[in-house]
Amino acid sequence: MIQRSGFATFVGQRWALLFLGLELVVFSIVGQGFFSLNGAQIVLFYGTSLFLLATAETFVIVTGGIDLSVGFMMGFSTIVSAMLVAALAKAGMAPSTAIVLTIAATLAIGLLPGLLSGFLVGRLRVPPFLATFGTGGIVYGTSLLLNSGNEVKNVPDLANVIGNSYFLYWAPGKGFSFFTRPEVARGTRVIEMIPSMLVVTAVVVIVAAFILHRTRFGRHTYAIGGNEDAAVRAGINIRRHYLAVYTLSAFFASLAGVIFMLEYITGKAEAGVSFLLDAIVGVVIGGASLYGGAGTVWGTVLGCLILSVLETGLRMAGVPTFDKFIAVGLILIFAVLIDQFFPELIHKED
Amino acid sequence: MADNSLARGRMSGPSSAVAVFGRNWAIFFLLIMIVVFFFTGKNFLTISNVQTILYSATTSLLLAFAETFVIIARGIDLSVGYVMGFSTIVCAGVIRDLYAAQFGVHWPAGVAIALGIAAGLAASVACGLASGILVARFRVPPFIATLGVLGVAYGITLHMSDGGFPIAFLPNVLTQIGNGYVYYYNPALHAYSFFAPPLGTTAAQIKDVVRLVPNVLLLIVVFLVVLWHLLKNTRFGQHTYAIGGSIDAAVRAGIDTRKHLVRVYVLSAVLAGLAGIVWVFQTGQGNFVPMGSNLELFAIAAVIIGGASLNGGKGRIVASLVGVFIISVMDNGLTLSGVETFFRYVATGVILIVAIVVDQLFPDLF
Repeated sequence: MIQRSGFATFVGQRWALLFLGLELVVFSIVGQGFFSLNGAQIVLFYGTSLFLLATAETFVIVTGGIDLSVGFMMGFSTIVSAMLVAALAKAGMAPSTAIVLTIAATLAIGLLPGLLSGFLVGRLRVPPFLATFGTGGIVYGTSLLLNSGNEVKNVPDLANVIGNSYFLYWAPGKGFSFFTRPEVARGTRVIEMIPSMLVVTAVVVIVAAFILHRTRFGRHTYAIGGNEDAAVRAGINIRRHYLAVYTLSAFFASLAGVIFMLEYITGKAEAGVSFLLDAIVGVVIGGASLYGGAGTVWGTVLGCLILSVLETGLRMAGVPTFDKFIAVGLILIFAVLIDQFFPELIHKED
Repeated sequence: MADNSLARGRMSGPSSAVAVFGRNWAIFFLLIMIVVFFFTGKNFLTISNVQTILYSATTSLLLAFAETFVIIARGIDLSVGYVMGFSTIVCAGVIRDLYAAQFGVHWPAGVAIALGIAAGLAASVACGLASGILVARFRVPPFIATLGVLGVAYGITLHMSDGGFPIAFLPNVLTQIGNGYVYYYNPALHAYSFFAPPLGTTAAQIKDVVRLVPNVLLLIVVFLVVLWHLLKNTRFGQHTYAIGGSIDAAVRAGIDTRKHLVRVYVLSAVLAGLAGIVWVFQTGQGNFVPMGSNLELFAIAAVIIGGASLNGGKGRIVASLVGVFIISVMDNGLTLSGVETFFRYVATGVILIVAIVVDQLFPDLF
């Protein structure tokens, strides 16, 4: 191994974190209103779908696979949930019951594509790339069929109230309340803190991190990604494990879809399409290897933060948002090149 | 050339009939589909509809050919759809600007078009060089390298087209070439001509004019023959199979794998760029390819349905052609049979999965 100076090691190991810091400083200077409570919340609010899809992708990538269907599964879930909740509300059910029922039913239906992918990968040994592309095609076609390719409307208002509420409302000098706006006179300044859906996302991501890093399921996931043959010899039932991993991925994607439906009170098949690239890039920037066996949920969170700060920051700085794609592509290439040039730095902890 | 002898099937299978079917199931499937659509689809097997299928499959074919080389070399190119869009915008932009600057007054409009084509190809070569160097020199996984190039190409495309507005005001001659036919026959005048309707054809007669052989079909045939020859009979093709079969063995055999992989990715990007230029000729404007149209995924699906393997070393140009036609005939046939087009995605997904499962269950057949 080539001896590198302490500084190079320091930068090489933490380049993602340093890059995020650099982004924050630059956008705080050039972005209007970026360095504020609202700016931070916009960054994180944009990130909710991305965090969930990237978490889903993390599990699959750690096994050495890839899931191309997460965006389509998210769109499918927005369509299914929006249609269900609209139908139930139309049938005279109370909106709150309808929403709870819908969320449960959608999350259950959303597991189906994951089961299919997992079966194809685990049992029939189809390469994950193709299995999930096939599943993605089926899921996308189905979501277009369900509502003839249109967006689903007529979602009850309560969904909007839930989806765009905040965890904490603070009226300075008049007290605060959780989840609902405090009863104060009109025109009183109420500071809204932490979108509720962000709280849900954070809880789910923390649980996912726990599963991947602290449980036997997680260790088996790394084992399969590191060396599948060794995992088989160690007695891991890889068929069942692949089924579980792809179903878990489908679960996270469906959850992202339900949250999207609550936030935007609409269901559309394309809802998640643009997040697929970002989700994979986020995972890779976070230090995962597409060959499997490496990657953490926290790394993914860092990678997604880099992307959502970039997206929001560019928008606030008045740069056309489509320039984001150039930056994302360059960061991705940069991330992999660092990985290639300093392999001993990046994978030291693995 | 172990791969080719495998592909030719000079080996003892379970029984020869099953082996023949398994090896060529894609073409049997295509034939069955054509027969079914002949009965269910209105006007499916008419000259004009067959020409429509060929016409609309042109860009998909070029993308699938591009992907074939990369997949044989055990890579993957996710950027083809976006390189196509990039080349479209660059080509159309250059033609529009030169044309608007009264270029046609001093020189023939053909010069503007030729420069536009050159610019589009140059743009795609740049993309291919970037992917190729990342993959070959820096050992970046092809998936990630082409994903990065995809992002950059897509961003530049959107930037150049101000966020995806079509580039319009191009010379009409583009669509005359791109949508023209080789042979025209006007029954009213009993006159035939090549590349343009016969002189004296009136507006009322134009719908009765018989058109045969779309111009783009000539392009398809030329590329089919050239690329088939390149892959089958040249050292370039042999090295591509060798690298896909085993890169270590290829290195020991003295192949400069780095240089060769760069060439493969450049070839892939050039074919994708050509698809973009054909797209300019067909639509008469510069339309970028939106994210989510998944052209690259359909191209990969076509190549895999044709019997190539993502593990490299397998794949044929003609098989990729069959794969593309399975998707486009299905698309066209389902539409003419009155089935909603949304089924296209479902059906492609199902056929893709069936293709791979057949490949997995009977690996010795291919």
